[in-house]
Amino acid sequence: MSTNHRRIIIPDTRHYPENRSKVPPEEMLKYAGEHVAWSPDGTRILAHGRDQDQVIAELEAAGVHFSEVVWEHVPPLDAEDSLL
Amino acid sequence: MSLRFFYRKVNMGHPLVPLNGRSVRPRPLIPVTLIGPLDSWTDEGLLDTGSDDTIFPEGIARRIGVDLTNAPSSRGAAIGMGVVPLRYAEVTLRVADNREQHEWVGWVGFTPAKLRHATLGFAGFLPYFTATFLGDREEVELAVNSLYPGT
Repeated sequence: MSTNHRRIIIPDTRHYPENRSKVPPEEMLKYAGEHVAWSPDGTRILAHGRDQDQVIAELEAAGVHFSEVVWEHVPPLDAEDSLL
Repeated sequence: MSLRFFYRKVNMGHPLVPLNGRSVRPRPLIPVTLIGPLDSWTDEGLLDTGSDDTIFPEGIARRIGVDLTNAPSSRGAAIGMGVVPLRYAEVTLRVADNREQHEWVGWVGFTPAKLRHATLGFAGFLPYFTATFLGDREEVELAVNSLYPGT
């Protein structure tokens, strides 16, 4: 019997807040309603889509594990205007 | 020293009357990593002083290897969502900016309800920080306080 112990990946998000803040809000409109997987430094979108499992599969196809990214859910365009 | 995060400018796609026609909502969304027995998951969580608990979607518990089968359970009420079920587990939480990073074990509520954002509320998160919301700059500062149990 074999066991497959994979080391837990902790992404380095130290530069994510600063880099992510530089992305113009209007840039994200094209991802409305989608799950977006960002590189840990917040400079690139590695995969995106409406179905999170599908995004994870896309990441895996590119050799990226779901724990190596920062997830963001972009509100759909018909989302409520305010969170209460 | 403290962690400092910019508010996320969430584009709503149309002018917002209460913000004098601005089309983005500034929200204190920060990246937070949950570390479970098998894996980690990094998501953006909303710093919410009005939330009693730190809440994440239940699917994340499964992905990081947290077994909720016999977890203590409760119910929460979210405005507009009615009553939502919660199951609690202790997990490691981690936050970082380009100056410092912090990691501690805290209680997180997991819910099957569809959330707009994970919520970083009192239990599990806010007791350990002095949070300063800089409304004019649309930034938030988190400084660990004497209750902070982590590293």
